[in-house]
Amino acid sequence: MATEATSPRRRWRGLGPAVPALALLALFFVIPVVSLLLRSILEPQFGLQNYAELFATSTYARVFYNTFLVASVVTAVSLALGYPVAWLLAIMPPGRANLVLAIILVSMWTNLLARTYAWMVLLQRTGVINTTLMKLGLIDEPLALVKNLTGVTIGMTYIMLPFIILPLYASIRTLDPAILQAASLCGAGRWQAFRRVLLPLSAPGAAAGGLMVFVMSLGYFVTPALLGGASHMMLAEMIAQLVQSLLNWGLGSAAAFVLLTVTLALYSVQIRFFGGMR
Amino acid sequence: MLLTYHRLGGLGIALWAITIGVCLFLLVPIIFIAALSFGSSRWLAFPPPAWTLRWYQELAADPRWLEAALTSAKVGLLSAALAVLLGLMASFALVRGRFRGRNFLKALFLTPMVLPVIVFAVAIYALFLRVGLNGTLVGFVLAHTVLAFPFAVIPIVNSLEGFDKSIEDAAVLCGASPLQAKLKITLPAIRIGLFSAAVFAFLISWDEVVVAIFMASPDLQTLPVRIWGALRQDLTPVIAAASTILVAFTLLVMAAVALLRRRISR
Amino acid sequence: MTPAFLSIRSLRQTYGSVVAVDDVSLEIPEGEFLTFLGPSGSGKSTTLYALAGFNEPTSGDILLRGGSILATPSHKRNIGMVFQRYTLFPHLNVRENVGFPLRVRGRPEREVARRVDTMLALVRLDGYGDRMPGHLSGGQQQRVALARALAYDPPVLLMDEPLSALDKKLREEIQIEIRRIHRETGVTILYVTHDQEEALRLSDRIAVFNRGRIEQVGSGRDLYHNPATRFVASFIGDSNFLDAAEVRAEGGRGRVVFPDGTTVADLPVHRSTEGDGTLPAAQVMVRPQSLRLAGAGEGLPVRVLDVTFLGDTSTVQFRTAWGQEIWMRAGADDIAALSPDVTCDVSWNPAESHLFL
Repeated sequence: MATEATSPRRRWRGLGPAVPALALLALFFVIPVVSLLLRSILEPQFGLQNYAELFATSTYARVFYNTFLVASVVTAVSLALGYPVAWLLAIMPPGRANLVLAIILVSMWTNLLARTYAWMVLLQRTGVINTTLMKLGLIDEPLALVKNLTGVTIGMTYIMLPFIILPLYASIRTLDPAILQAASLCGAGRWQAFRRVLLPLSAPGAAAGGLMVFVMSLGYFVTPALLGGASHMMLAEMIAQLVQSLLNWGLGSAAAFVLLTVTLALYSVQIRFFGGMR
Repeated sequence: MLLTYHRLGGLGIALWAITIGVCLFLLVPIIFIAALSFGSSRWLAFPPPAWTLRWYQELAADPRWLEAALTSAKVGLLSAALAVLLGLMASFALVRGRFRGRNFLKALFLTPMVLPVIVFAVAIYALFLRVGLNGTLVGFVLAHTVLAFPFAVIPIVNSLEGFDKSIEDAAVLCGASPLQAKLKITLPAIRIGLFSAAVFAFLISWDEVVVAIFMASPDLQTLPVRIWGALRQDLTPVIAAASTILVAFTLLVMAAVALLRRRISR
Repeated sequence: MTPAFLSIRSLRQTYGSVVAVDDVSLEIPEGEFLTFLGPSGSGKSTTLYALAGFNEPTSGDILLRGGSILATPSHKRNIGMVFQRYTLFPHLNVRENVGFPLRVRGRPEREVARRVDTMLALVRLDGYGDRMPGHLSGGQQQRVALARALAYDPPVLLMDEPLSALDKKLREEIQIEIRRIHRETGVTILYVTHDQEEALRLSDRIAVFNRGRIEQVGSGRDLYHNPATRFVASFIGDSNFLDAAEVRAEGGRGRVVFPDGTTVADLPVHRSTEGDGTLPAAQVMVRPQSLRLAGAGEGLPVRVLDVTFLGDTSTVQFRTAWGQEIWMRAGADDIAALSPDVTCDVSWNPAESHLFL
């Protein structure tokens, strides 16, 4: 029969229904992103001058430094705060766990601008935090908590915490408590059991969550733009400014390409070492 | 013992302290904003000297807010519908197809979720400037459909993977055409996944800020764009009122989803 | 040749270089209960799915009442099927499930209602009409599936290991139900299973599948008493295989000398079709229950390895002088004298054994 003739058809069997989605993503995702990246080496003329400028100018270097600094601190703080929560969440009775989960989900799904706005108000010079601290006599004059990297870090940690708690919670929940009972029968004290058993077993979840938060923080736009301010710019805001205000598409595209490359590289590390997403 | 709740002892108290602290950290700002939206202080003093609905009245008096909300709803509904429709078809290919590069396709479909939004925003802005879709409803919908697409595909793929194809085969042998079998049997069976997909896709569009900032024109703004614009001027309590409405709306959607899901799965 | 009610002709199904079904032919009269029996991967389900229209055979043909059905899409074949997994439509209740094929065919509601009542009565589930599938036991679900598959009076009913997910007791209960339903409706049933007991209990005829081919077709009694191949002999019922050192076969009867010199004559001979050169030369097959103890020097000398008491019967394991292990099933009293390391002789009626060349 026509086995030979049908084999190319068989190779693509079942692809049909994906074609509309494929077309959408090709036209409005792949092509725009690729052509944006091309602009970084084509404008104003062909060459790598945009990248040279990006890495040679101290203003831009400062932005890269800010971005990596904030992303690192946010990741570290989120992990430090999120790990105990995920741990307890994984073993607490279901009723209470649902309540804690609901709080995390509500915060996660609350409009980003609303949450950022809340921190702008809370952290401002006349905000509740400063007035309370002054009333308690802990400080004499208001701390500068907003329009600087401190504000960005607080606001970002707030946004990122759920993204670290949820995957870590999922990974700790799959651990069998009997393993730790076995560890203690083997003579491991609490600290030993934590360091030698629980921590290594939950490390993949922590690393995956931490990497995700780090990557998301690198490219975050809204919160840094509102809580940071012009003199404490981060990468995403710089890209926006370059193309929207300065109309310097070549340089903006180069910065976008750097962000994209770092992001995809870190994600591929995650996929290679901790399996796929989700 | 470290994973046995009742044997944590003193450690349990420490963990609970951190957990309660984190919960407060997550919850307080939201409650705080809701409280301020009813406070009378224009300078957002807390606790407010008196309670008032003034900021809500100001919000209602400004037709631009309502317009923005309507635009948001329109964009959200259209994007969600498109994302679910395309996502449903794509999911059939991903779950049932046996073609080359299936894993590549899956990765491509999820990329809009992991790519920094700013990169996509600038890229689609550049394209739409060129083809004249910037500041149009169509432009908004297309851009948001791309962003919402992974969030529609994931729940549909999951529920379709959990659906035994033999059931659809049984319907076909019963005399239903393959299309009939999908419409009458498969779709109702995976309706929880479809429903989640629609809600996720809608909320992604409804809350989306970055692409919208680039896409918006003075005549066509979504609610987040409007808030963004206001925020860059001052911290007026009107924004607190708008934020509170947004939060209440999201909570309502989530509660409705939880209720409906429970009802459907029963 | 007048075609049978249903005939499968030289059916072949390949996936790349894998041959799933290899030249399968069957003639099935109307109203027969035919079982495809074989280990997993033997091609029995693939053949059934070709009938259902879910895979397109590489070559060959399937004819129903003399006409080929291969060009007819699944939903127009009018064939009923009960699947291995539970396939009730999860969002429809029992009545709606059974009525589904009738509504798809556009039958009037009154007729649908009447027919659904009849079918539920047939599978003895009247009163369960408003239940949702999730609230039924596995056995009930498969009975509803059976009612649904029979609702539109299909000429052929396919059943793909429908009871494999159920426990043994329930399985036997439903087997009896299936037999009754077959009697009452007279529908032609093709039934796939890997469980020989199920096949023997249910079928008029059994087709034994192995490696994509049919090894033998016949009634259970036939297959048991006259296995055509070693595979059938080992798959249906319990069996012992003894290597032969010398063989002489004449006119369907054979004479065998075992490696220890014992001679047995008058054995029915089967020339195995499965021979691919790698099988041990000739073997004698004896059922464990055909073996009995013989006086010294009157049978095959063996040494007892183990005796197991199993209530109604006992089993004894022996080792022959050349090291092969065989076992015997016997009443507990018959073997009271046996214990490990005792030597004795066993014999059997040559007509009950088979010589495979």
